[in-house]
Amino acid sequence: MAQDMSIERYLEQGGKLTNPTNVPPRYRAELLKMMATFVDSELAGAAGFADVINEGPGIKERIAAAKIVLEKTDNADKVLRLMGEFGANTDRYANHHPWTARLPRNAEPGTRRSDHDMRLSVLNYPLEGWADAVAMNLCMGLAVVAQLSDMQQVSYQPLADVLREVTPVETRHVELAEEGLARLTEQGQRNAILDALAYWRPRVAAIFGDVSQDRFDQLRAWGLRHRPNVVLHDAWAESLDASLNRLSLTA
Amino acid sequence: MARFHDLAVTDVRKTIKDAVVVSLKPVEGGDFVFTQGQYLTFRRDFDGTEVRRSYSICAGKDDGILQVGIKKVEGGAFSTWANEDLKPGDTLQAMEPMGSFFTPLDATQKRNYLGFAGGSGITPVLSILKTALKAEPRSTFTLVYANRGVSTIMFREELEDLKNLYMGRLTIIHILESDAQDIDLFTGRVDVGKCEALFAHWVDIDSIDIAYICGPEPMMLGIASSLRAHGLSDAQIKFELFASAQPGRLARKAATQDGTATAKTTQASVTLDGTARSFTMEKDQTVLEAALENAIDAPYACKAGVCSTCRCKVIEGEVEMVANHALEDYEVQQGYVLSCQSFPVSDRVVVDYDQ
Repeated sequence: MAQDMSIERYLEQGGKLTNPTNVPPRYRAELLKMMATFVDSELAGAAGFADVINEGPGIKERIAAAKIVLEKTDNADKVLRLMGEFGANTDRYANHHPWTARLPRNAEPGTRRSDHDMRLSVLNYPLEGWADAVAMNLCMGLAVVAQLSDMQQVSYQPLADVLREVTPVETRHVELAEEGLARLTEQGQRNAILDALAYWRPRVAAIFGDVSQDRFDQLRAWGLRHRPNVVLHDAWAESLDASLNRLSLTA
Repeated sequence: MARFHDLAVTDVRKTIKDAVVVSLKPVEGGDFVFTQGQYLTFRRDFDGTEVRRSYSICAGKDDGILQVGIKKVEGGAFSTWANEDLKPGDTLQAMEPMGSFFTPLDATQKRNYLGFAGGSGITPVLSILKTALKAEPRSTFTLVYANRGVSTIMFREELEDLKNLYMGRLTIIHILESDAQDIDLFTGRVDVGKCEALFAHWVDIDSIDIAYICGPEPMMLGIASSLRAHGLSDAQIKFELFASAQPGRLARKAATQDGTATAKTTQASVTLDGTARSFTMEKDQTVLEAALENAIDAPYACKAGVCSTCRCKVIEGEVEMVANHALEDYEVQQGYVLSCQSFPVSDRVVVDYDQ
């Protein structure tokens, strides 16, 4: 059965890697970055949302918010465990950064990330109250779902397996956000929601914008990425518009 | 994270000329309860060099025994030693079982599994099929098993016994590369064409719920593309790959420069994606910071010495790694450092992110 083939060619042709011992060094680094980005974003997202649980106007809303915090933390844990198989110290990792840290609310939208963790740029902005949190959850939740649609095809099979488990959970968070906004609209919060959407939409859009073509080509050759960010961005924008239409929240 | 535990070797049995089945018993510590399809990573010192190798467990989950299959690889230090010198009474060191080459079993479900194994790739597939047939009385398993010839078929008798035990539920198709068989279809390599022919005449591909593939890379690619063409999703196709190109021998150690370093700056050379870049950096700056400052897209995530994303290898010169919560001793010995925690000590430092 001696059929020699380089790992690079194997990956180019859609091959899957299955454990830390057979990943090439540069692939390893990019894969770890990708996993760290996911973990940090989930931890930062959950930490930010934890603070607004008590601002939920009723017990149903607080249950929904608490559920989201719990499940995002659980999703982070699942991917962090995979990082642990590469040597990452999972106990220290969970505490190496203050996940609640945020920029001032009036900071300009941008793609710049924090110096100390890999959370997506949008998660550096603070939430301001319940309606704002729910609007952010809808915008960002749909972006996460768009990104997961690409990430779950990743050539590192253990991660692909985990992301396929995570996707329906994240999709449910979007549904909760949409239900939440529907209730807030009934309660006369339409203007507050529109303000929040105007604040969050450009900040979420920015997370789709920071990969150079060369880098993307390399990531695609390794099977770490599949569709360009612009395609994912458009899928996100379309799903967000559809959701806002359902809610009659188009400005 | 990675901790090794002692395992006592209770039996070493030849299954074919150049492969052994090793039975193991935990001595103390470590949770060696495994899931079907998982593997063990062993370590052993060969002339001062630590070699690590992973081998799949071939026992079923409820067999009450821990067994791995080790096929001798040409030039492979560990597999040659295991085949020639390992004996009952010896002690091996291994990490707890790892791997995700399995799907959850449920006694009430009725599923049709399809397994493809090439050569020693049978090891985890054997574990999976034994476990699945026992745990799910209504499920079936079809095994397509590729080998060079009859004499290289690992676990041939055990598979025959299983076929009798699970009559009607276990189907085994041997494909032999060089030995002629009664049916032409069963001779040759398992590639896309072979899969098509098998799916046309022997395997009802539309009824398959989950497929497992373990073998050489080109074989896995051919099978996977065939399975996808027949409508199986990525979630239904489970791969297991053990790279043959794992480093077997230690590369040369990073040479420490003679003489004392005096300058406040260091001449650094950083290789990333095949390109080497040189620049001058301050000694109170980490290698990662300096690389980023010089527009090198060096990988990093936590910047706290925890996640190991920024790992690189010191090829020349000396750096001081002030914190390390991620690399293991053997990696450090080989010259790997966390670049986010490493400050240059010598006046010239050469690091490589590609190794």
